Amino acid sequence: MTAPQVRRVVWIHGDSLSVTDPALSACPDAPALFVFDRPFLQAVPVAFPRLAFMYQGVRDLAAHRAGPTEIRVGSVPDELAAFAGAHHAAELHVTRNFTPDFARIVDGLRAARPDLRIIIHEPERLTSFDGPLRRFFGFWKKVEREVLHGEPAPDFPRRGHRQERR
Amino acid sequence: MSDPVRLPPDLPDDRLPRVLGEALAGLYTGEPRLPARAGGRTAGLAALQAWTGQGYAGRNFLGGNVSRLSMYLRHGMLGLREVAAHARAVMRGRERDEFLRQLTWAEFYRLVLRQEGARVLGNLEDPKYPARWVGTLPDDVREARTGLPCADAWVTHLVRDGWMHNHERLWFAAYLVHWRGVDWRAGYALFREHLLDGDIANNALSWQWVASTFSNKPYFMNQENIDRYSGGRWCRTCRAECPFRASYGELETQLFGTQP
Repeated sequence: MTAPQVRRVVWIHGDSLSVTDPALSACPDAPALFVFDRPFLQAVPVAFPRLAFMYQGVRDLAAHRAGPTEIRVGSVPDELAAFAGAHHAAELHVTRNFTPDFARIVDGLRAARPDLRIIIHEPERLTSFDGPLRRFFGFWKKVEREVLHGEPAPDFPRRGHRQERR
Repeated sequence: MSDPVRLPPDLPDDRLPRVLGEALAGLYTGEPRLPARAGGRTAGLAALQAWTGQGYAGRNFLGGNVSRLSMYLRHGMLGLREVAAHARAVMRGRERDEFLRQLTWAEFYRLVLRQEGARVLGNLEDPKYPARWVGTLPDDVREARTGLPCADAWVTHLVRDGWMHNHERLWFAAYLVHWRGVDWRAGYALFREHLLDGDIANNALSWQWVASTFSNKPYFMNQENIDRYSGGRWCRTCRAECPFRASYGELETQLFGTQP
């Protein structure tokens, strides 16, 4: 016998429009939601083809996963809270992005649904670099071997990056 | 709160503009139409597999074989790691290394956004010349009627295809910020409106790189550079009074007062 699974939903956002997204991969059967952000689109001009491109991204991932996928138009935290409620979800899974909006939406959702556990998956990275950044050239010198050869060089510990901090 | 609007996740392309257009009424600019390139991981993978990188050494020429994968990377439809793995498998030598270096800019900008947050939407550093920028995008630029065939073509290309070659982006940004004296944020907003790959990190930080608020000097070009890398596309038949026709030294003095 297996333990009963926690009810989960997935939030898909504009940086995660692939069936390979870490949050979607972790919850292949869970209902997933993409929201066209009404307050954002009311405030910021965006041409239609960009929105159609995103729609096509959601359509493609919906066709390639086992769980159901929904698309709504509205306030993102409100729609996520309603979606999680409708599915009696105890957990919401999402992949982090670094935009200021992401933090704002997560905060809004936490305020609306303090009982909902929000599991944030880390996005895929090209490099393991974790130090401070200033110019590309300096960054490239630190990650060049890793990028060109596809794996961190043995003499390239993460600890070494932090020593760069001035 | 508005009534909830739901969309089916399986609209075929022939119905997409009408149904999505109705659901998003009042929330977009321009006409409801399909993007110049199809979105989605399946389309992105097909584009990736079709790209061999052959001739990438000519990437700075508008006719050069650049990958045109940026819109798929921006939305996570393709991952940086799989694009890098593809390049390592199909490309060779300096072309491969140069492509991987260019790809790494995307990682760099994402990490700068992680480090700086919303600060990337304002000047990260002081401009490296005495800039007095105005905040509004001029109408003649937005409407592609500056009278300069090249500049008008850049805007037309942006709006029509939602994509520009990197050199066109740099030229347009330099023209807007340095020649027209417009704050880079107005250009950022125009790109955000239209570019299929428009995001905060690449978009804002590339503008700041040109404007010199995230670089050690402003980027600018001259007519010779545009003529060369466009293959004479506009200059050959141009009758406009060209603001770019001068040596780099002369333009530096004219645009920045002194050598920046």
